[in-house]
Amino acid sequence: MPSNWPQSDTAGGGAAAPRPWWLGGLVIALGCVCLYGAFSLPQAARYAGVGPGLFVTLVGSGLVLLGLLLLMQIARGEKFVPQDTEDASGSDKADMTAFLTALAAAIVPVLTIEALGVPFTAMLSFTLVARAFGSRKTVIDLITGAILGSLAWLLFTQLGLQIGSFLPLAGI
Amino acid sequence: MNLKTALLPLAMFAALATGTAQAQVNLMLPANPGGGWDSTGRQAFQAMNEAGIYTGGVNFTNKGGAGGTIGLAEFQGSQSGKPDALAVFGAITVGSIILNNSPIDLSQFRPIARLTAEYLVIAVSADSPHQSLQDLVEAVKADPGANAVGGGSAGGVDHIALALLAQAADIPVADLNYIPQASGAETVTGIVNGTLAAGISGISEFQQFAEQGRIRILGITSAERKAGLDVPTFKEAGYDVDIANWRGFLGAPGMPEDNYQTWVDRFTQMNGSEPWQKVLETQGWDQFFLSGEEFGTFIKEENERIGAILKEAGLAK
Amino acid sequence: METFSLLLQGFEVALQPINLFWALVGSVLGTAIGILPGIGPALTIALLLPVTISVAPTSAFIMFAGVLYGAMYGGSTTSILINTPGEAGSMMTALEGNKMARAGRGASALATAAIGSFVAGTIATLALTFAAPAIAEIAFYFRPADYFALTVLAFTSMAVVMGTSRVRGFISLFLGLALGLIGIDQMTGQARLTFGVPGLFDGMELAVVLVSLFAVGEILYVASRYRKNSSEIIPIRGQIWMSREDWKRSWKPWLRGASLGFPIGALPGGGSEIPTMLSYTLERKLTKHPEEFGKGAIEGVAGPEAANNAAAAGILIPLLTLGLPTSATAAVLLAAFQNYGLQPGPFLFSSNPQLVWGLIASLYVGNAMLLVLNLPLVGIWVRLLSIPAPQLYGGILVFATIGIWGVANSLVDVIAMVIIGVAGYVMRVYDFPIAPVLIGLILGPMAEQQLRTALAAGQGNPIMLVSTPLSVIFLTIAALFLLAPLLLRRLRANA
Repeated sequence: MPSNWPQSDTAGGGAAAPRPWWLGGLVIALGCVCLYGAFSLPQAARYAGVGPGLFVTLVGSGLVLLGLLLLMQIARGEKFVPQDTEDASGSDKADMTAFLTALAAAIVPVLTIEALGVPFTAMLSFTLVARAFGSRKTVIDLITGAILGSLAWLLFTQLGLQIGSFLPLAGI
Repeated sequence: MNLKTALLPLAMFAALATGTAQAQVNLMLPANPGGGWDSTGRQAFQAMNEAGIYTGGVNFTNKGGAGGTIGLAEFQGSQSGKPDALAVFGAITVGSIILNNSPIDLSQFRPIARLTAEYLVIAVSADSPHQSLQDLVEAVKADPGANAVGGGSAGGVDHIALALLAQAADIPVADLNYIPQASGAETVTGIVNGTLAAGISGISEFQQFAEQGRIRILGITSAERKAGLDVPTFKEAGYDVDIANWRGFLGAPGMPEDNYQTWVDRFTQMNGSEPWQKVLETQGWDQFFLSGEEFGTFIKEENERIGAILKEAGLAK
Repeated sequence: METFSLLLQGFEVALQPINLFWALVGSVLGTAIGILPGIGPALTIALLLPVTISVAPTSAFIMFAGVLYGAMYGGSTTSILINTPGEAGSMMTALEGNKMARAGRGASALATAAIGSFVAGTIATLALTFAAPAIAEIAFYFRPADYFALTVLAFTSMAVVMGTSRVRGFISLFLGLALGLIGIDQMTGQARLTFGVPGLFDGMELAVVLVSLFAVGEILYVASRYRKNSSEIIPIRGQIWMSREDWKRSWKPWLRGASLGFPIGALPGGGSEIPTMLSYTLERKLTKHPEEFGKGAIEGVAGPEAANNAAAAGILIPLLTLGLPTSATAAVLLAAFQNYGLQPGPFLFSSNPQLVWGLIASLYVGNAMLLVLNLPLVGIWVRLLSIPAPQLYGGILVFATIGIWGVANSLVDVIAMVIIGVAGYVMRVYDFPIAPVLIGLILGPMAEQQLRTALAAGQGNPIMLVSTPLSVIFLTIAALFLLAPLLLRRLRANA
């Protein structure tokens, strides 16, 4: 059976930034968000001893601690080797245009799925992802996406799942 | 197999394929599956279907926890303004909202109908030393911490009923070791394996386990004994407690007026229908019907009543 | 022998042409909905509940049995082929299964999943037939301390097999735990980490996190590193059918998975998550090919798939024998029973044996039917992978979005999809393992709830947590998991 997956090489390179301090900072920040949330919650309870806030405090402290450990690792020059997947090897340089196009495809549903419905959203998302992966047959992709979205909408709506109307703005 | 039975599945399949598409009634069941709200919602629509009042499809969504406030929050968030979005709720919700300072405001929803009341029963394991409600209450009084009682979510009807029982027996309510359970199934298993000294829940969730001989029901919260259940009321046992777990339907906030009237009418019709009577009988629920704006007034009063009990019991600020 | 003749009568019912037809309808519907990420058997059966109005009970339950198994087959297919597990039960399948598919061994992965599910389903159904009443008692035996110890065991066993860096593995786990804390606290009703967003009161939907981390994160990552001009192709390596080696490496994980999934599935709240996780870590520990794990080890598909399927049969035990619904799927089935005025429980076996044994027999039939349906389809399914990457990934995003939207029609979920998808991308770039996030999210709330219940019942005395034989056993195994490698190293060093 023919297939056109590109072959990957298994060797991972160190394409990531050598000192990603922000990673440790982000983990600590998330921990602080938890701790802030835990601040207003009771830590103890009458009989259990463990109140609703205790786990939040523990998880928040854990994240702060782990963030500090990560910073220490980064300071010592920890290497971050991007994960290999079969279609993409870590050694390749990240293509930010492609990434942002794919990200836009993921953001599209936030803006359109409620107002413009599943099939329309599918058409846009599909085309953007295809573009991120290098397809330049935009018209064909738009048509494919619209057909795929419409078929999926039809199938799952018939099966009783609630995914909104076909094109809410037009009232269909 | 005759021709008719052979064609039925085909017809059903076709009906399924065409019928469900246009029928988009969404019913939020803000409890874990298998409990009282779950069956109230499903049985009501089943009865409506049998009686030919509403025969379209319904999307049931179960979302349990925290006395229905989790489910209602989601309901409010995702279904506001939708024409045919309904939610099951009940006395439990009222208490939970007050207790949890939940931002949910029941008056924002459309009151459709109150349908049933289920009385609560308190039960112990079949091998428990407590033979009567007085035995249990005395044990709790002597050492409230060692006698954990399980039931529905904090501040729910189960919790309130227990608080009232404690008050009536001069036990400080704040001393009770009440452990909310995620589902009726967990309350039952907790009683049987001894994690809980007792459990309090609706009759329907306990009765068959009493029949199986796994648990012993000690008392019921109704004013009078219930037919077919040889269990004394709390009042008979000397504790002046009378409380019911009522259940009803709400419409989504902003439900259009026409749809609202249609649903009030449908539930009124269903309440008098033959299939619903059968449901009440098999499920052991008592009819407790009230509809429309009158129901809205009732919810408001209940809100005040339960709020007062919770405050008096020291459960709410 | 009485059981046996009753079972034979059950087969007479289940094998009637009309009932076979219903089993087929159920299997097809179940598979169709199961391929949509996030939509599991419980919702599918709930959607089909109206059918109970006009169909005889036996036929309806036979159809539901088909739906139950069909939805699981659908779920494992998407996990293996497009790395998009829709339900917690098929998450572990994606870890190794998708790696196998990418290495051209998708057919073997699908086959071992299908056959393993069949084997486990058959074992579980046999156990259901002959030992149901005894197994049902497990539900009553388990106390909060036991549940808590079981979650601790699952945590530690996963911690041991976590990715390359312990620190990053634990960061993943804690991120999952933090996500699991969002929402209204079950025990006190207080909102936690919701920061006033009502859409978060009900917590993070597991399906949303699952689909976002796996599918969306993957799309973003691959897109940023995809070599567009590459014309190299991966041939489908190996046979379409499982090789002799595959069989040899699969049968033990099937049996072990089945024996984990069945009893845990019978517990209230036990579900399919814990047995599949335990099965995965068990196979990873026992395998003779540890180097293949993480790169597509067939044991890592065979075990969890068997566990998942056996757990599905396990949930029927407390339901049928006690009337105790222990999972969402079981509760929907209970509602279906009640629609017919039937109350599952010990009395149903005597009052309506035809229905009960027809249902049990239909589990065998449904399993066999799905195997027959799915094995020939394996060849067609793997062709999905020959769709050009731009269109394939486009399609995956479309299905992921519809699945997430279909769960609750909530925009908060769709926004979460973007944020968690980006997190999934960052985690791939900086080599953080994905699975611990989901384990934290699934098991964290359960561990907390059971811990607090156990402590409250014991008035805060921590001795409660080791007060039962099972809890001691689970915690001991958990400690061994953590300490065994250290001890072994020391012994070897001394020798």
